[in-house]
Amino acid sequence: MTATTEELMVFAASQEIRDGNTVFVGTGLPMLAAYLARATHAPDVSLLFESGIVDPNPTHLALGVGDFRLMHGATSVRGLHYVLGLLQKGSIDVGFLGAAEVDRHGNINSTIIGGTYRHPGKRLPGSGGANDIASSAKSTVIMCLHRPERLVDRVRYVTSPGFLGGNDEREQSGLRIGGPRMIITDLAVLRFHPVTRDAYISSIHPGVDPATVIARTGFPIEVPSDVARTPAPDDTTIQLLRGMDPGGVYLRGR
Amino acid sequence: MSKVGTLEELVDLVKPGMSISFGGFAHSLTPLAFVRELIRRDIRDLELIGIAEAWAADMLAGAGSLRKIVFSNFMFEGFGLCRNFSRVIETGAVEFEDYSHFALASRFSAAGLGLPFATVRSLLGSDLAGSDDGVQRVRHVDFTSPFGDERVMLLPAASPDVVVIHGHRGDEHGNVQILGATAVIEEQARAGKTVIATVEQFVDSAEIRATPNHTVVPGLLVSHIAEVPYGAHPTGMFRLYDADYDHIRQYAEASRDPAAFAAYLADVTTGDHQDYLARLGVRRLLNLRVDPHFGYHLERTESGWRA
Repeated sequence: MTATTEELMVFAASQEIRDGNTVFVGTGLPMLAAYLARATHAPDVSLLFESGIVDPNPTHLALGVGDFRLMHGATSVRGLHYVLGLLQKGSIDVGFLGAAEVDRHGNINSTIIGGTYRHPGKRLPGSGGANDIASSAKSTVIMCLHRPERLVDRVRYVTSPGFLGGNDEREQSGLRIGGPRMIITDLAVLRFHPVTRDAYISSIHPGVDPATVIARTGFPIEVPSDVARTPAPDDTTIQLLRGMDPGGVYLRGR
Repeated sequence: MSKVGTLEELVDLVKPGMSISFGGFAHSLTPLAFVRELIRRDIRDLELIGIAEAWAADMLAGAGSLRKIVFSNFMFEGFGLCRNFSRVIETGAVEFEDYSHFALASRFSAAGLGLPFATVRSLLGSDLAGSDDGVQRVRHVDFTSPFGDERVMLLPAASPDVVVIHGHRGDEHGNVQILGATAVIEEQARAGKTVIATVEQFVDSAEIRATPNHTVVPGLLVSHIAEVPYGAHPTGMFRLYDADYDHIRQYAEASRDPAAFAAYLADVTTGDHQDYLARLGVRRLLNLRVDPHFGYHLERTESGWRA
Protein backbone atom coordinates (compact mmCIF):
# COMPACT_ATOMS: atom_id res chain seq x y z
CA MET A 1 0.00 0.00 0.00
CA THR A 2 1.42 3.38 -1.01
CA ALA A 3 0.47 6.59 0.75
CA THR A 4 -0.80 9.44 -1.41
CA THR A 5 0.89 12.83 -1.14
CA GLU A 6 -1.88 14.14 1.12
CA GLU A 7 -1.62 11.09 3.38
CA LEU A 8 2.13 11.59 3.59
CA MET A 9 1.60 15.24 4.57
CA VAL A 10 -0.96 14.34 7.22
CA PHE A 11 1.34 11.66 8.63
CA ALA A 12 4.29 14.09 8.76
CA ALA A 13 2.09 16.65 10.57
CA SER A 14 0.81 14.05 13.03
CA GLN A 15 4.39 13.19 14.02
CA GLU A 16 4.84 16.75 15.34
CA ILE A 17 2.21 16.15 18.03
CA ARG A 18 3.46 14.67 21.34
CA ASP A 19 1.20 12.85 23.75
CA GLY A 20 -0.29 15.33 26.21
CA ASN A 21 0.10 18.30 23.84
CA THR A 22 -2.61 20.87 23.36
CA VAL A 23 -2.91 21.69 19.68
CA PHE A 24 -4.79 24.37 17.74
CA VAL A 25 -6.34 22.95 14.61
CA GLY A 26 -8.12 24.27 11.54
CA THR A 27 -10.08 22.71 8.70
CA GLY A 28 -8.62 20.10 6.37
CA LEU A 29 -5.39 18.14 6.60
CA PRO A 30 -4.41 19.43 10.10
CA MET A 31 -7.74 18.16 11.44
CA LEU A 32 -6.91 14.66 10.16
CA ALA A 33 -3.34 14.94 11.48
CA ALA A 34 -4.64 15.64 14.97
CA TYR A 35 -7.15 12.77 14.80
CA LEU A 36 -4.41 10.44 13.55
CA ALA A 37 -2.06 11.46 16.36
CA ARG A 38 -4.80 10.82 18.91
CA ALA A 39 -5.59 7.41 17.41
CA THR A 40 -1.92 6.34 17.44
CA HIS A 41 0.89 7.78 19.54
CA ALA A 42 -0.83 10.68 21.33
CA PRO A 43 -4.07 9.46 22.96
CA ASP A 44 -3.99 12.33 25.45
CA VAL A 45 -3.71 15.19 22.95
CA SER A 46 -6.25 18.02 23.42
CA LEU A 47 -7.70 19.72 20.36
CA LEU A 48 -8.82 23.36 20.27
CA PHE A 49 -10.71 25.03 17.42
CA GLU A 50 -11.24 28.77 16.90
CA SER A 51 -14.99 28.24 16.72
CA GLY A 52 -14.83 27.70 20.50
CA ILE A 53 -14.94 23.90 20.48
CA VAL A 54 -12.75 22.22 23.09
CA ASP A 55 -11.43 18.70 22.51
CA PRO A 56 -14.25 17.11 20.48
CA ASN A 57 -14.50 13.47 19.55
CA PRO A 58 -16.53 13.60 16.32
CA THR A 59 -18.27 10.60 14.79
CA HIS A 60 -18.62 12.25 11.37
CA LEU A 61 -15.95 14.29 9.60
CA ALA A 62 -16.61 18.04 9.80
CA LEU A 63 -16.51 20.23 6.69
CA GLY A 64 -15.15 23.12 8.71
CA VAL A 65 -14.48 24.30 12.24
CA GLY A 66 -18.00 25.79 12.42
CA ASP A 67 -19.67 22.54 11.29
CA PHE A 68 -22.00 21.06 13.94
CA ARG A 69 -20.35 17.69 13.26
CA LEU A 70 -17.32 19.01 15.13
CA MET A 71 -19.31 19.66 18.30
CA HIS A 72 -19.90 15.98 19.04
CA GLY A 73 -18.09 14.59 22.06
CA ALA A 74 -16.51 17.93 22.98
CA THR A 75 -15.49 18.40 26.62
CA SER A 76 -16.63 22.02 26.44
CA VAL A 77 -18.21 24.37 23.90
CA ARG A 78 -17.28 28.00 24.43
CA GLY A 79 -16.66 31.00 22.21
CA LEU A 80 -13.92 32.28 19.93
CA HIS A 81 -12.52 34.77 22.44
CA TYR A 82 -12.22 32.10 25.12
CA VAL A 83 -10.17 29.62 23.08
CA LEU A 84 -8.02 32.31 21.45
CA GLY A 85 -7.44 33.68 24.95
CA LEU A 86 -6.06 30.28 25.98
CA LEU A 87 -3.81 30.50 22.95
CA GLN A 88 -2.50 33.92 23.98
CA LYS A 89 -1.89 32.63 27.49
CA GLY A 90 0.59 30.14 26.04
CA SER A 91 -1.47 26.97 26.38
CA ILE A 92 -0.91 25.78 22.81
CA ASP A 93 2.06 23.52 22.04
CA VAL A 94 1.50 23.27 18.30
CA GLY A 95 -0.67 25.40 16.04
CA PHE A 96 -1.36 24.41 12.45
CA LEU A 97 -1.48 27.00 9.69
CA GLY A 98 -2.41 26.83 6.04
CA ALA A 99 -0.94 29.34 3.62
CA ALA A 100 -1.77 30.84 0.22
CA GLU A 101 1.79 32.19 0.19
CA VAL A 102 4.68 31.52 2.58
CA ASP A 103 8.26 32.78 2.47
CA ARG A 104 11.72 31.50 3.35
CA HIS A 105 11.39 32.87 6.88
CA GLY A 106 8.00 31.25 7.46
CA ASN A 107 5.91 34.40 7.14
CA ILE A 108 2.42 33.78 5.78
CA ASN A 109 0.20 35.87 3.52
CA SER A 110 -3.50 35.01 3.56
CA THR A 111 -4.72 38.50 2.70
CA ILE A 112 -3.99 39.37 -0.94
CA ILE A 113 -2.83 37.87 -4.23
CA GLY A 114 -1.16 40.42 -6.48
CA GLY A 115 -1.41 44.21 -6.29
CA THR A 116 -1.04 46.05 -3.02
CA TYR A 117 -2.87 45.84 0.29
CA ARG A 118 -5.05 48.84 -0.60
CA HIS A 119 -5.52 47.75 -4.21
CA PRO A 120 -5.29 43.96 -4.28
CA GLY A 121 -5.41 41.90 -7.45
CA LYS A 122 -7.43 39.34 -5.54
CA ARG A 123 -8.69 39.79 -2.00
CA LEU A 124 -8.45 36.71 0.24
CA PRO A 125 -10.41 36.12 3.48
CA GLY A 126 -7.80 37.65 5.83
CA SER A 127 -6.12 36.58 9.05
CA GLY A 128 -8.90 35.01 11.04
CA GLY A 129 -7.15 33.25 13.90
CA ALA A 130 -3.96 32.68 11.89
CA ASN A 131 -2.13 35.80 13.08
CA ASP A 132 -3.09 34.92 16.66
CA ILE A 133 -1.75 31.36 16.28
CA ALA A 134 1.46 32.56 14.60
CA SER A 135 1.99 35.13 17.39
CA SER A 136 1.19 33.08 20.48
CA ALA A 137 1.48 29.31 19.88
CA LYS A 138 4.69 27.77 21.26
CA SER A 139 5.34 26.43 17.77
CA THR A 140 3.58 26.24 14.44
CA VAL A 141 3.48 23.80 11.55
CA ILE A 142 2.72 25.33 8.16
CA MET A 143 1.16 23.30 5.35
CA CYS A 144 1.06 24.55 1.76
CA LEU A 145 1.55 23.65 -1.89
CA HIS A 146 5.08 23.68 -3.23
CA ARG A 147 4.89 26.08 -6.19
CA PRO A 148 7.24 28.96 -7.09
CA GLU A 149 4.42 31.50 -6.65
CA ARG A 150 3.44 29.99 -3.28
CA LEU A 151 6.83 29.41 -1.67
CA VAL A 152 8.52 32.75 -2.19
CA ASP A 153 11.50 34.81 -1.06
CA ARG A 154 9.34 37.37 0.72
CA VAL A 155 5.56 37.43 1.05
CA ARG A 156 3.73 40.43 -0.36
CA TYR A 157 1.97 41.01 2.96
CA VAL A 158 2.74 39.48 6.36
CA THR A 159 -0.64 38.32 7.68
CA SER A 160 0.95 35.91 10.17
CA PRO A 161 4.51 36.47 11.36
CA GLY A 162 7.10 33.73 11.10
CA PHE A 163 10.69 34.85 11.64
CA LEU A 164 10.01 38.12 9.75
CA GLY A 165 13.34 39.11 8.09
CA GLY A 166 15.25 36.27 9.77
CA ASN A 167 17.84 36.13 12.57
CA ASP A 168 16.22 37.57 15.73
CA GLU A 169 13.75 39.88 13.99
CA ARG A 170 10.79 37.97 15.40
CA GLU A 171 12.04 38.41 18.96
CA GLN A 172 12.89 42.07 18.28
CA SER A 173 9.30 42.69 17.20
CA GLY A 174 8.12 41.71 20.69
CA LEU A 175 7.16 38.11 19.92
CA ARG A 176 9.16 36.27 22.53
CA ILE A 177 8.04 32.73 21.97
CA GLY A 178 7.02 30.52 19.12
CA GLY A 179 7.69 30.70 15.44
CA PRO A 180 7.37 28.09 12.72
CA ARG A 181 8.86 24.68 13.33
CA MET A 182 8.52 23.47 9.76
CA ILE A 183 6.75 23.79 6.43
CA ILE A 184 5.17 20.62 5.06
CA THR A 185 4.54 20.84 1.31
CA ASP A 186 3.37 18.32 -1.25
CA LEU A 187 7.03 17.71 -2.20
CA ALA A 188 9.15 18.16 0.91
CA VAL A 189 9.58 19.18 4.52
CA LEU A 190 11.43 22.42 5.20
CA ARG A 191 12.86 23.47 8.55
CA PHE A 192 14.59 26.66 9.69
CA HIS A 193 18.25 27.31 10.45
CA PRO A 194 18.53 28.00 14.21
CA VAL A 195 20.46 31.27 13.73
CA THR A 196 19.57 32.76 10.34
CA ARG A 197 16.04 31.31 10.37
CA ASP A 198 16.36 30.58 6.67
CA ALA A 199 14.31 27.64 5.43
CA TYR A 200 16.23 24.58 4.29
CA ILE A 201 15.12 21.26 2.87
CA SER A 202 14.92 18.78 5.73
CA SER A 203 13.55 15.89 3.70
CA ILE A 204 11.89 15.27 0.36
CA HIS A 205 8.96 12.94 -0.09
CA PRO A 206 9.51 9.43 -1.50
CA GLY A 207 9.66 9.41 -5.30
CA VAL A 208 10.15 13.18 -5.61
CA ASP A 209 12.97 14.36 -7.91
CA PRO A 210 15.28 16.88 -6.18
CA ALA A 211 15.27 18.96 -9.38
CA THR A 212 11.48 19.36 -9.06
CA VAL A 213 11.87 20.71 -5.53
CA ILE A 214 14.44 23.26 -6.71
CA ALA A 215 12.32 24.27 -9.71
CA ARG A 216 9.17 24.70 -7.64
CA THR A 217 10.76 26.76 -4.87
CA GLY A 218 10.48 30.50 -5.50
CA PHE A 219 13.89 31.27 -3.98
CA PRO A 220 17.32 29.62 -4.35
CA ILE A 221 17.48 26.44 -2.29
CA GLU A 222 19.84 23.48 -2.11
CA VAL A 223 18.91 19.83 -2.00
CA PRO A 224 21.89 17.86 -0.66
CA SER A 225 22.72 14.68 -2.57
CA ASP A 226 22.23 12.67 0.64
CA VAL A 227 18.92 14.38 1.53
CA ALA A 228 16.61 12.35 3.75
CA ARG A 229 13.30 11.00 2.48
CA THR A 230 10.16 11.93 4.44
CA PRO A 231 9.02 8.86 6.42
CA ALA A 232 5.94 7.23 4.91
CA PRO A 233 3.10 5.79 7.01
CA ASP A 234 2.78 2.01 7.20
CA ASP A 235 -0.23 0.09 5.86
CA THR A 236 -2.07 0.09 9.19
CA THR A 237 -1.70 3.85 9.50
CA ILE A 238 -2.84 4.45 5.92
CA GLN A 239 -5.92 2.33 6.51
CA LEU A 240 -6.64 4.13 9.76
CA LEU A 241 -6.35 7.48 8.01
CA ARG A 242 -8.56 6.49 5.10
CA GLY A 243 -11.18 5.33 7.58
CA MET A 244 -11.24 8.84 9.05
CA ASP A 245 -12.13 10.40 5.69
CA PRO A 246 -14.05 7.65 3.86
CA GLY A 247 -15.70 10.17 1.52
CA GLY A 248 -12.39 11.71 0.44
CA VAL A 249 -13.39 15.17 1.68
CA TYR A 250 -9.80 16.16 2.45
CA LEU A 251 -7.86 13.14 1.12
CA ARG A 252 -8.78 13.68 -2.49
CA GLY A 253 -5.73 12.26 -4.21
CA ARG A 254 -6.70 8.61 -4.41
CA MET B 1 -41.92 48.48 28.85
CA SER B 2 -42.11 45.40 26.69
CA LYS B 3 -39.03 44.43 24.76
CA VAL B 4 -40.98 42.25 22.38
CA GLY B 5 -41.48 43.43 18.83
CA THR B 6 -41.84 42.16 15.30
CA LEU B 7 -38.87 41.61 13.03
CA GLU B 8 -39.91 44.73 11.10
CA GLU B 9 -40.04 46.84 14.28
CA LEU B 10 -36.58 45.65 15.28
CA VAL B 11 -35.12 46.52 11.88
CA ASP B 12 -36.55 50.05 12.28
CA LEU B 13 -33.85 50.64 14.90
CA VAL B 14 -31.07 50.45 12.30
CA LYS B 15 -30.41 53.79 10.59
CA PRO B 16 -28.11 54.61 7.68
CA GLY B 17 -24.58 55.46 8.87
CA MET B 18 -24.67 53.25 11.97
CA SER B 19 -22.01 50.72 12.94
CA ILE B 20 -23.38 47.20 13.28
CA SER B 21 -22.22 43.69 14.18
CA PHE B 22 -23.96 40.33 13.81
CA GLY B 23 -23.81 37.02 15.65
CA GLY B 24 -22.82 33.93 13.69
CA PHE B 25 -19.97 31.63 12.81
CA ALA B 26 -19.45 30.07 9.37
CA HIS B 27 -22.75 28.40 8.38
CA SER B 28 -24.42 28.81 11.77
CA LEU B 29 -26.19 31.18 14.15
CA THR B 30 -26.47 34.16 11.79
CA PRO B 31 -29.56 36.44 12.03
CA LEU B 32 -30.21 36.32 8.29
CA ALA B 33 -33.96 37.03 8.38
CA PHE B 34 -32.89 40.35 9.94
CA VAL B 35 -30.25 40.85 7.23
CA ARG B 36 -32.77 40.14 4.45
CA GLU B 37 -35.15 42.71 5.95
CA LEU B 38 -32.31 45.28 6.12
CA ILE B 39 -31.63 44.65 2.43
CA ARG B 40 -35.33 44.76 1.52
CA ARG B 41 -35.51 48.23 3.11
CA ASP B 42 -32.30 49.23 1.31
CA ILE B 43 -30.68 50.62 4.45
CA ARG B 44 -27.20 51.70 3.36
CA ASP B 45 -24.02 53.40 4.47
CA LEU B 46 -23.51 50.90 7.29
CA GLU B 47 -20.17 50.18 8.98
CA LEU B 48 -19.92 46.46 9.61
CA ILE B 49 -17.64 45.43 12.49
CA GLY B 50 -17.54 41.68 11.97
CA ILE B 51 -15.52 38.68 13.06
CA ALA B 52 -17.20 35.45 12.07
CA GLU B 53 -20.54 36.44 10.48
CA ALA B 54 -19.45 35.69 6.91
CA TRP B 55 -23.05 35.34 5.68
CA ALA B 56 -24.16 38.74 6.93
CA ALA B 57 -21.00 40.34 5.55
CA ASP B 58 -21.26 38.82 2.10
CA MET B 59 -25.00 39.49 1.67
CA LEU B 60 -24.71 43.12 2.81
CA ALA B 61 -21.59 43.64 0.66
CA GLY B 62 -23.44 42.24 -2.35
CA ALA B 63 -26.45 44.45 -1.65
CA GLY B 64 -24.31 47.60 -1.54
CA SER B 65 -25.31 48.26 2.07
CA LEU B 66 -21.82 48.81 3.46
CA ARG B 67 -19.65 51.92 3.61
CA LYS B 68 -16.91 50.32 5.68
CA ILE B 69 -15.89 46.82 6.78
CA VAL B 70 -13.85 46.31 9.94
CA PHE B 71 -13.17 42.58 10.11
CA SER B 72 -10.84 39.66 10.70
CA ASN B 73 -11.86 36.93 8.23
CA PHE B 74 -14.81 36.21 5.99
CA MET B 75 -14.98 32.95 4.07
CA PHE B 76 -17.54 30.26 3.33
CA GLU B 77 -16.10 27.14 4.96
CA GLY B 78 -16.07 24.35 2.41
CA PHE B 79 -17.32 26.67 -0.35
CA GLY B 80 -14.40 29.05 -0.80
CA LEU B 81 -14.27 32.83 -0.87
CA CYS B 82 -17.02 35.26 0.11
CA ARG B 83 -17.08 36.69 -3.39
CA ASN B 84 -19.20 39.79 -2.77
CA PHE B 85 -16.99 40.73 0.15
CA SER B 86 -13.82 40.23 -1.93
CA ARG B 87 -15.36 42.17 -4.84
CA VAL B 88 -16.20 45.33 -2.87
CA ILE B 89 -12.63 45.46 -1.57
CA GLU B 90 -11.05 44.75 -4.94
CA THR B 91 -13.14 47.46 -6.63
CA GLY B 92 -12.50 50.00 -3.87
CA ALA B 93 -16.23 50.31 -3.13
CA VAL B 94 -15.73 50.19 0.65
CA GLU B 95 -13.25 51.30 3.27
CA PHE B 96 -11.76 48.39 5.20
CA GLU B 97 -9.60 47.51 8.21
CA ASP B 98 -8.02 44.10 8.80
CA TYR B 99 -7.63 42.58 12.26
CA SER B 100 -6.99 39.10 13.57
CA HIS B 101 -9.92 37.29 15.20
CA PHE B 102 -8.54 37.69 18.70
CA ALA B 103 -7.58 41.35 18.22
CA LEU B 104 -11.06 42.34 17.06
CA ALA B 105 -12.86 40.15 19.61
CA SER B 106 -10.66 41.77 22.28
CA ARG B 107 -11.76 45.23 21.10
CA PHE B 108 -15.35 44.12 21.79
CA SER B 109 -14.29 42.60 25.09
CA ALA B 110 -12.67 45.86 26.22
CA ALA B 111 -15.82 47.81 25.35
CA GLY B 112 -17.86 45.25 27.27
CA LEU B 113 -15.69 45.86 30.33
CA GLY B 114 -16.02 49.61 30.03
CA LEU B 115 -12.31 50.07 29.24
CA PRO B 116 -10.84 52.40 26.59
CA PHE B 117 -8.50 49.88 24.99
CA ALA B 118 -7.68 46.21 24.62
CA THR B 119 -4.28 44.61 25.27
CA VAL B 120 -3.18 41.80 22.96
CA ARG B 121 0.01 40.17 21.70
CA SER B 122 -1.43 39.59 18.22
CA LEU B 123 -0.52 41.93 15.34
CA LEU B 124 3.03 42.56 16.65
CA GLY B 125 5.49 42.44 13.75
CA SER B 126 2.82 41.81 11.12
CA ASP B 127 1.62 43.96 8.24
CA LEU B 128 -1.80 44.23 9.87
CA ALA B 129 -0.06 46.79 12.07
CA GLY B 130 1.65 48.39 9.06
CA SER B 131 0.86 51.75 7.50
CA ASP B 132 0.04 53.24 4.09
CA ASP B 133 1.47 56.68 3.30
CA GLY B 134 2.32 57.17 6.97
CA VAL B 135 -1.23 56.34 8.14
CA GLN B 136 -1.70 53.31 10.39
CA ARG B 137 -3.83 50.59 8.80
CA VAL B 138 -5.43 49.97 12.17
CA ARG B 139 -5.08 52.35 15.10
CA HIS B 140 -2.69 50.83 17.60
CA VAL B 141 0.08 51.53 20.09
CA ASP B 142 3.05 49.16 20.38
CA PHE B 143 3.40 49.32 24.15
CA THR B 144 6.03 48.09 26.61
CA SER B 145 4.63 46.85 29.91
CA PRO B 146 5.44 49.14 32.86
CA PHE B 147 5.51 45.99 35.03
CA GLY B 148 8.37 44.37 33.13
CA ASP B 149 9.51 44.78 29.57
CA GLU B 150 7.05 42.66 27.66
CA ARG B 151 5.66 44.21 24.49
CA VAL B 152 1.95 44.25 23.71
CA MET B 153 -0.43 45.95 21.31
CA LEU B 154 -3.03 48.41 22.54
CA LEU B 155 -6.14 48.63 20.38
CA PRO B 156 -9.13 50.94 20.88
CA ALA B 157 -12.29 49.43 22.37
CA ALA B 158 -15.05 48.84 19.83
CA SER B 159 -18.69 49.47 20.67
CA PRO B 160 -21.02 48.98 17.68
CA ASP B 161 -24.15 51.15 17.57
CA VAL B 162 -26.20 48.01 17.05
CA VAL B 163 -25.47 44.34 17.71
CA VAL B 164 -27.88 41.79 16.24
CA ILE B 165 -27.86 38.19 17.45
CA HIS B 166 -29.97 35.12 16.78
CA GLY B 167 -30.56 32.53 19.50
CA HIS B 168 -32.36 29.27 20.09
CA ARG B 169 -34.76 30.43 22.78
CA GLY B 170 -35.67 33.67 24.47
CA ASP B 171 -38.28 35.35 26.60
CA GLU B 172 -40.12 38.66 26.83
CA HIS B 173 -37.38 40.06 29.08
CA GLY B 174 -34.77 39.64 26.35
CA ASN B 175 -32.96 36.64 27.80
CA VAL B 176 -31.31 34.67 24.99
CA GLN B 177 -30.26 31.03 25.20
CA ILE B 178 -27.89 29.40 22.74
CA LEU B 179 -26.91 25.74 22.41
CA GLY B 180 -23.44 24.68 21.30
CA ALA B 181 -20.43 26.91 20.61
CA THR B 182 -21.29 30.60 20.98
CA ALA B 183 -18.96 32.27 18.45
CA VAL B 184 -18.37 35.89 19.53
CA ILE B 185 -21.89 36.54 20.80
CA GLU B 186 -20.97 37.10 24.45
CA GLU B 187 -18.40 39.78 23.61
CA GLN B 188 -20.57 41.42 20.94
CA ALA B 189 -23.63 41.62 23.21
CA ARG B 190 -21.59 43.18 26.02
CA ALA B 191 -20.01 45.70 23.64
CA GLY B 192 -23.10 46.87 21.75
CA LYS B 193 -24.76 50.22 22.47
CA THR B 194 -28.07 48.62 21.47
CA VAL B 195 -28.50 44.84 21.38
CA ILE B 196 -31.28 43.32 19.29
CA ALA B 197 -32.12 39.62 19.44
CA THR B 198 -34.16 37.32 17.26
CA VAL B 199 -34.83 33.82 18.56
CA GLU B 200 -36.25 30.62 17.16
CA GLN B 201 -38.80 30.32 19.94
CA PHE B 202 -40.22 32.29 22.84
CA VAL B 203 -40.49 30.35 26.08
CA ASP B 204 -41.85 31.18 29.50
CA SER B 205 -39.32 32.95 31.73
CA ALA B 206 -39.66 30.11 34.21
CA GLU B 207 -38.04 27.85 31.63
CA ILE B 208 -35.13 30.29 31.23
CA ARG B 209 -34.68 30.43 35.00
CA ALA B 210 -34.72 26.64 35.17
CA THR B 211 -31.86 26.40 32.64
CA PRO B 212 -29.69 29.48 33.32
CA ASN B 213 -26.49 27.85 32.02
CA HIS B 214 -27.90 28.10 28.50
CA THR B 215 -28.45 31.85 28.78
CA VAL B 216 -25.53 33.32 26.83
CA VAL B 217 -26.96 36.84 26.84
CA PRO B 218 -29.02 37.88 29.86
CA GLY B 219 -31.99 40.13 29.19
CA LEU B 220 -30.46 43.12 30.94
CA LEU B 221 -28.19 43.52 27.90
CA VAL B 222 -30.97 43.17 25.30
CA SER B 223 -33.30 46.04 24.44
CA HIS B 224 -35.48 44.38 21.78
CA ILE B 225 -36.40 40.80 20.95
CA ALA B 226 -38.53 39.05 18.31
CA GLU B 227 -39.53 35.47 17.65
CA VAL B 228 -38.30 34.55 14.16
CA PRO B 229 -38.43 30.78 13.43
CA TYR B 230 -35.80 29.65 10.92
CA GLY B 231 -34.37 33.14 11.32
CA ALA B 232 -30.85 31.87 10.61
CA HIS B 233 -31.64 30.07 7.33
CA PRO B 234 -29.66 29.13 5.22
CA THR B 235 -27.24 28.93 8.16
CA GLY B 236 -28.16 26.39 10.82
CA MET B 237 -28.95 26.25 14.53
CA PHE B 238 -27.25 23.40 16.44
CA ARG B 239 -29.80 20.84 17.67
CA LEU B 240 -32.68 22.54 15.76
CA TYR B 241 -31.89 22.56 12.04
CA ASP B 242 -28.75 22.04 9.98
CA ALA B 243 -27.25 24.47 7.50
CA ASP B 244 -29.01 24.26 4.11
CA TYR B 245 -26.06 23.12 2.00
CA ASP B 246 -28.08 23.02 -1.25
CA HIS B 247 -29.02 26.65 -0.76
CA ILE B 248 -25.43 27.52 0.18
CA ARG B 249 -24.23 25.93 -3.07
CA GLN B 250 -26.75 27.99 -5.06
CA TYR B 251 -25.69 31.14 -3.24
CA ALA B 252 -21.99 30.49 -3.86
CA GLU B 253 -22.72 30.04 -7.55
CA ALA B 254 -24.89 33.17 -7.80
CA SER B 255 -22.30 35.28 -5.97
CA ARG B 256 -19.76 34.72 -8.77
CA ASP B 257 -21.59 37.27 -10.88
CA PRO B 258 -23.14 40.61 -9.75
CA ALA B 259 -26.18 40.24 -12.02
CA ALA B 260 -26.89 36.68 -10.86
CA PHE B 261 -26.47 37.81 -7.28
CA ALA B 262 -28.87 40.72 -7.74
CA ALA B 263 -31.45 38.21 -8.99
CA TYR B 264 -30.80 36.02 -5.93
CA LEU B 265 -31.27 39.00 -3.59
CA ALA B 266 -34.47 40.08 -5.36
CA ASP B 267 -35.81 36.58 -4.88
CA VAL B 268 -35.00 36.21 -1.18
CA THR B 269 -36.21 39.71 -0.25
CA THR B 270 -39.59 39.53 -1.97
CA GLY B 271 -42.25 39.75 0.71
CA ASP B 272 -41.59 39.16 4.40
CA HIS B 273 -39.91 36.30 6.28
CA GLN B 274 -43.07 34.16 6.22
CA ASP B 275 -43.16 34.51 2.42
CA TYR B 276 -39.49 33.50 2.30
CA LEU B 277 -40.19 30.36 4.33
CA ALA B 278 -43.26 29.55 2.24
CA ARG B 279 -41.17 29.70 -0.94
CA LEU B 280 -38.56 27.38 0.59
CA GLY B 281 -41.37 24.96 1.26
CA VAL B 282 -42.20 22.45 3.94
CA ARG B 283 -40.25 19.60 2.34
CA ARG B 284 -37.01 21.57 2.30
CA LEU B 285 -37.33 22.71 5.91
CA LEU B 286 -38.19 19.18 7.06
CA ASN B 287 -35.05 17.95 5.31
CA LEU B 288 -32.95 20.15 7.60
CA ARG B 289 -34.21 18.40 10.75
CA VAL B 290 -31.49 17.10 13.04
CA ASP B 291 -30.73 13.80 14.65
CA PRO B 292 -31.55 14.23 18.35
CA HIS B 293 -28.39 12.46 19.49
CA PHE B 294 -25.91 14.31 17.28
CA GLY B 295 -27.72 17.63 16.84
CA TYR B 296 -27.17 17.76 13.08
CA HIS B 297 -28.80 16.28 10.01
CA LEU B 298 -28.28 12.61 9.12
CA GLU B 299 -29.58 10.89 6.05
CA ARG B 300 -30.80 7.35 6.06
CA THR B 301 -29.20 5.20 3.39
CA GLU B 302 -29.29 1.48 2.63
CA SER B 303 -26.10 0.99 4.62
CA GLY B 304 -27.24 3.06 7.60
CA TRP B 305 -27.27 6.69 8.73
CA ARG B 306 -24.90 9.06 6.98
CA ALA B 307 -23.85 12.63 7.87
